Amino acid sequence: MIGILIVFIGAVLVLFLGLNKPEGGMKTLSSLLLFLAGVMSLLESLSILNFERLSNWAPKNMIDFSNGDLMFVSLLAFVTAAIIAIFPSVEEKGSDRLGLMMLSLTGAFMMIGADHLVMLFLGIEVLSIPLYVLAGSDKHNLRSNEAAIKYFLMGAFSTAIFLLGCAFIYGGSGSLSLSEISLRMSIVGHLSEFPALIKVGVILMSTGLLFKVSAFPFHFWAPDVYEGSPNKVTTFMAVIVKIAGFVAFANYLQAFEALASWYHQWLIILAVCTIIFGNIAAISQKTVKRTLAYSSIAHAGYLLLFLITPMKANMWILFAYSVAYALSTVVLFYFNDKYSTPKEYGFGMFSGLLKNNQSAAILMVISLFSIAGIPVTVGFTAKYYLFTSAFEVSPLAVCIALIGSAISIMYYFKAFKPMFESDESNASQAQAGKVNFVVYLMVAASIVFGLFPYLFERCF
Amino acid sequence: MEIIILPLILSLLAAFIGSKINKTVWGLLSFVSLFAMVYMKQHYVVHNDGVWHNTFDVPWFSNGIHFTLGLDGLTGLMILLTNLLVPIIILSIQTNNQKSLIPLILFMQAALNGVFMAKDGLMFYIFWELALIPIYFICLLYSSQDAFKTTIKFFIYTFVGSLAMLASLIYLYLKTENHSFAYDELLSVQLNYTESIWVGAGFLFAFAVKIPIFPFHSWQANTYTNAPAQGSMLLSGIMLKMGLYGLLRWFMPMAGESIAFFQPIVVLLAVIGIIYGAVIAIKQNDLKRLIAFSSLSHVGLIAAGFMTLSAVGIQGGVLQMFVHGINVVALFYIVEIIETHAGSRELSKLGGLAKFNRTFAVIYLIVVLGTAAVPLTNGFPGELLLLKSVFDYNTVTGVFAGLTIILCAVYMLRMYQFSMLGEAKATLNEIGLMKMIPLFILVALVILIGVCPQLIIDQISPSIQKIMLEISNSKGVLS
Repeated sequence: MIGILIVFIGAVLVLFLGLNKPEGGMKTLSSLLLFLAGVMSLLESLSILNFERLSNWAPKNMIDFSNGDLMFVSLLAFVTAAIIAIFPSVEEKGSDRLGLMMLSLTGAFMMIGADHLVMLFLGIEVLSIPLYVLAGSDKHNLRSNEAAIKYFLMGAFSTAIFLLGCAFIYGGSGSLSLSEISLRMSIVGHLSEFPALIKVGVILMSTGLLFKVSAFPFHFWAPDVYEGSPNKVTTFMAVIVKIAGFVAFANYLQAFEALASWYHQWLIILAVCTIIFGNIAAISQKTVKRTLAYSSIAHAGYLLLFLITPMKANMWILFAYSVAYALSTVVLFYFNDKYSTPKEYGFGMFSGLLKNNQSAAILMVISLFSIAGIPVTVGFTAKYYLFTSAFEVSPLAVCIALIGSAISIMYYFKAFKPMFESDESNASQAQAGKVNFVVYLMVAASIVFGLFPYLFERCF
Repeated sequence: MEIIILPLILSLLAAFIGSKINKTVWGLLSFVSLFAMVYMKQHYVVHNDGVWHNTFDVPWFSNGIHFTLGLDGLTGLMILLTNLLVPIIILSIQTNNQKSLIPLILFMQAALNGVFMAKDGLMFYIFWELALIPIYFICLLYSSQDAFKTTIKFFIYTFVGSLAMLASLIYLYLKTENHSFAYDELLSVQLNYTESIWVGAGFLFAFAVKIPIFPFHSWQANTYTNAPAQGSMLLSGIMLKMGLYGLLRWFMPMAGESIAFFQPIVVLLAVIGIIYGAVIAIKQNDLKRLIAFSSLSHVGLIAAGFMTLSAVGIQGGVLQMFVHGINVVALFYIVEIIETHAGSRELSKLGGLAKFNRTFAVIYLIVVLGTAAVPLTNGFPGELLLLKSVFDYNTVTGVFAGLTIILCAVYMLRMYQFSMLGEAKATLNEIGLMKMIPLFILVALVILIGVCPQLIIDQISPSIQKIMLEISNSKGVLS
């Protein structure tokens, strides 16, 4: 609860203090505030600090953070702090972008803690509305405008569908509170009264969330929106929105556990399709950003596999996967941002990197290994946990996911070709620049978590 | 544990201060692991009774996954091979401008030691993948041409194979009683026939790609040819053995229930590989390509011998694994010397090199004879045992496999003749003594093992008996 308050107050502070100031000045303040929020939530989730009185203010049946939820909250706060810290600030005046990003993060926290469908809906809206603005924040760029309008239209549609789903569920179960629904669903015989209403409701609500996490068949907006938005916003969308979306997805599906065998069927199909589509489409992409966009679709597929496992006991696996995905994706987007130029935004941007900037090359190699799931990085550990737990439900889907991660090597390793070329024609000046120390920390974290995987399970 | 940590530390050192110290020093330093290995052997394996002794065991991942390392005769032989060959491979580096080569090789050494010692399914997989990474970068960074395309093919091919193995391992893991990856636990899982075929196929695919067995070999020739000499040595000298070792230690006991299903298939494919590799080797002009295909042929015979499931075949196969590692590294070493000192490794541009350096010519001849399995060289006892086992298994396949003796003599002697004898088309520059010393060591081993193979067979036979017992145990479940 403390995390959400710090971030919300921080967002308002940054919005007003930085109204007429350059973004650079507010950068430190906002990333420090986010870091603080992250530390506080972490301490709270480990039961070192106790904010019970603070939490008691909130209506428990609307929003309630379990210790596991707080881990996610602190993860998202840390990642957003890192995103704000490592990406260069825009030159125009006005720190409203940072404020909006923090506001959007508040929405993500609400989604994670929501125990009520209305709260979940509010969270999704608070998350999305600042993002519509942020997607178009590079206002002189036509692509950015396109991204904003596309994201807005798609997002508005998906939330509307989501809301319709809520209405159906209310009709079927007579309640909007997730714990209440879960209770009623577990009563024998209750389900048989209005099965169709609830099933339609679950499908419609899932549609809304599948939109948000860009899973098949609702992923078509993602590459365009990701490509058009400014790099910082794209990273935020690819990481924060996806993780928050999946936590919310998992939390609300848990309420319908009585229907598990029914929703497993179509979730498996969707997961498999997402994995195949994301990976295969990524191979033929020419620009790095689009490749990463399709890679994030593929990762949504792997995460969908999580939803078919017994979720309640396995939330730490979702957490491990989120950590792995966030660490490597942020680093890769960072390098994409650092080395892309208006002329060169394909894989050629990395040409000669090993020669010009050895440490950057090594950091990138480790991140690519991590996102591809190669051992001793956290990417492998997370994939291992996820696949092992999903294997019990559907071995076939896991085999396809394994094939998918083999395919993913093809496009992740595409970057190696230019990186190791000793081509000096490229702008070596730009590449020689120092890498932000936060990136070093993130890459180090992805190896530490890979070497000591039991940290996840123990902390959760 | 010592022989994983030591090369890792050396590798880190080499990465940071490698360029300041001569490569010969690194070569000599890497012998330390060999001593560490001998010490470990003394310390942990008091009686060579075939038991896979734990040398290190700490819990690692969450429940049921331990960081367990084991040591027995078979593992001991494999890590002896690794730690013996790696210093020689480092000493074979010719130029000083390959800065990251030494750290990568040392890292590879650590991973390879891990593969051979891993006593836990997931650890085996992790080390298996870790061994792939340095060799991928060695090939990518120092390849002569078209590096990206061949290396990515190699990487994806082997990666798909290892993922298949991972799927099998996970399946077995979920079948164990208290969810554990420990070798003995995995072994005790009882599968029905269909399950066993799928699990076995996963393992077999991974190993067949690595070995490589006939239809999965297409990555091999290009990777060997384009890789730097050190890369080819690592790949053929040690990394192939990972596949064969996996076949023996993991596939055969784990898929024991369906081994009768796989046996004829693998033997047939391996025998096809023997003849196919040998016939193609005869026509090669490029020395490295020739050795690549000869390796395909030799390794096919070892795989066939293993799959006959006879004590003779497995014994001969393990012996031959060691011997092939020595011979093929010596051959690649010789090719490297010819390439740098005579300017080419194409047979059509070579000839008459013998008269420039008699010692080199003699050494070359001994290695060639060893590879062609002439009696009293190291190739002979292993090959004899292997052929006997294949012959016992099925006379027709035995006859076809036996062709390898003739074909191997043809391409090896042709290789020697066209490069060393006849009219001189190229000149061989003076070879320094430092460059010859590793060759002397290898040649000494060629003769030593040729004269008394019993040295090695004594070491391995208890472990082999134990593995055979495990295979027949799991076979017994069904019958």
